[in-house]
Amino acid sequence: MDKFSKLISDISRLWAAYMPAYLTGIRNTLIVAVAATLAGCVIGFICGVLNTIPHAKTDNPVKRFFLALIRVVVRVYVEVFRGTPMVLQAVFIYYGLPYFSDGSIAFRGNGGIWLASLLVVSINTGAYMAESVRGGIISVDPGQTEGAKAIGMTHVQTMIHVILPQALRNIIPQIGNNFIINIKDTSVMFVIGFVEFFATHRNIVGVNLMYFPSAAIEMVGYLCLTLAASFLLRWLEKRLDGSDNYELVSDDQLVMAAGTYAHPDRGTPFDEHHKPSRDEVIQEVKIGKNRGER
Amino acid sequence: MADTILEIRHLSKSFGSHEVLKDIDFTVSKGDVTAIIGASGSGKSTLLRCVNLLETPTSGEILFHGKDVTGRGVNAPEYRSHVGMVFQSFNLFNNMSVLENCIVGQVKVLKKGKDEAKENALRFLQYVGMAPYINAKPRQLSGGQKQRVAIARALAMGPEVLLFDEPTSALDPEMVGEVLNVMQQLASGGMTMLVVTHEMAFARDVSNHVVYMNQGVICEQGSPSEVLENPQKQETKDFLSRFRNN
Repeated sequence: MDKFSKLISDISRLWAAYMPAYLTGIRNTLIVAVAATLAGCVIGFICGVLNTIPHAKTDNPVKRFFLALIRVVVRVYVEVFRGTPMVLQAVFIYYGLPYFSDGSIAFRGNGGIWLASLLVVSINTGAYMAESVRGGIISVDPGQTEGAKAIGMTHVQTMIHVILPQALRNIIPQIGNNFIINIKDTSVMFVIGFVEFFATHRNIVGVNLMYFPSAAIEMVGYLCLTLAASFLLRWLEKRLDGSDNYELVSDDQLVMAAGTYAHPDRGTPFDEHHKPSRDEVIQEVKIGKNRGER
Repeated sequence: MADTILEIRHLSKSFGSHEVLKDIDFTVSKGDVTAIIGASGSGKSTLLRCVNLLETPTSGEILFHGKDVTGRGVNAPEYRSHVGMVFQSFNLFNNMSVLENCIVGQVKVLKKGKDEAKENALRFLQYVGMAPYINAKPRQLSGGQKQRVAIARALAMGPEVLLFDEPTSALDPEMVGEVLNVMQQLASGGMTMLVVTHEMAFARDVSNHVVYMNQGVICEQGSPSEVLENPQKQETKDFLSRFRNN
């Protein structure tokens, strides 16, 4: 028991001394995680859409060549960035670009570190999202595409108005996964000197060697961030699904809107508000259905 | 003779080595209601999908007002906006409400204004008796209701021909009537329709031209009374008697 009280007092001492540093770390973690997840989604959507452009043998050779080239490029990108550790990618890009450009392209100063971190996490997320988006697009019923084509929509219109909104809904759990992974995995950006939540911990324990109490703060901190993220995503999912109920619109409103419905009692025979059929129903309710009639 | 809208000439379609359609020939004139009947797997749906270019024909021509639409340089989306299609599985856009389903094509494809499109959509939704449901999502509707919305969506595009691919086959028996009623109303309003159907009563009472397909070829075609009441070919007789026995 006294161990616990010691831990609590250690934590409160740490927190009192380093609260601004921890909070800055949380802020930096969140900024990179949110921005990189969004950027990764954009990259993922672009790659996913490029990957699913329909190709037919009857297309002209130039178009087929370009489509094949696009697919190869996207494939290489996805495989390389999904297949290597993000720590390594960070080092590779942060030191690699200056190396190759003889220092003319370099990530200089604090801004450079920020830029490199955002870039690496975004590209990494994009590689994962590309496959998720492709899956999301494939999982939308082919009938949706046919319905859109049948009313004359082009491929781009079909994608934007029909397929992608549904694909987006389908992959929100995946986006949530990536977001939560990003919150945690931005921690590896310490290798290029980015000071986020975990790097803050490294800096602090480097001074006072209170590894365990600081780690406890980190654990609780990360857990709070990820719990808030999942809660937010659930809420977003619900909002996108819309209400389970719908309002029936009364005829009067429609008369105003359509201007073609002269009289409520003069509908078409399959209109449920058609007067003769309505009378018939009322009749049936009152005296029972006449068997011979139908 | 009425204006010819669609002319199908020597149309063939193969999936790999499997020949689904062989040398199909027929003509659709303005106001025609053509019923395409035949056993499952006889190529009826493939034929209809070829007419709408959802499948690319292997050979042959589809002439729309005299112009071949199967060539490479043809703007398929533009052509499709003149040829409506109603599917067996409805294919309403799940991410949109009933009203949005009927508006999106008009706004994005026909470039109509929002208000005009809405008014037009409401008119056709009223026509199929689905106007009260404009705010509902497709998942909240019954099969018959969905199909009526699908018809309204196709009509809102102002098509010259309407293709129906077994519009009642996925419906519960009690919902078949409401959809057939709409189609009957359309036919008597002079809509040009091409209907793949298993509803013999519809073919007999509503259509003015019946095409019987068997194993990828048109076995027999003519007026409903010719094909359905006095079939000449043995295959047609067998098919019809199988239907009557059921």
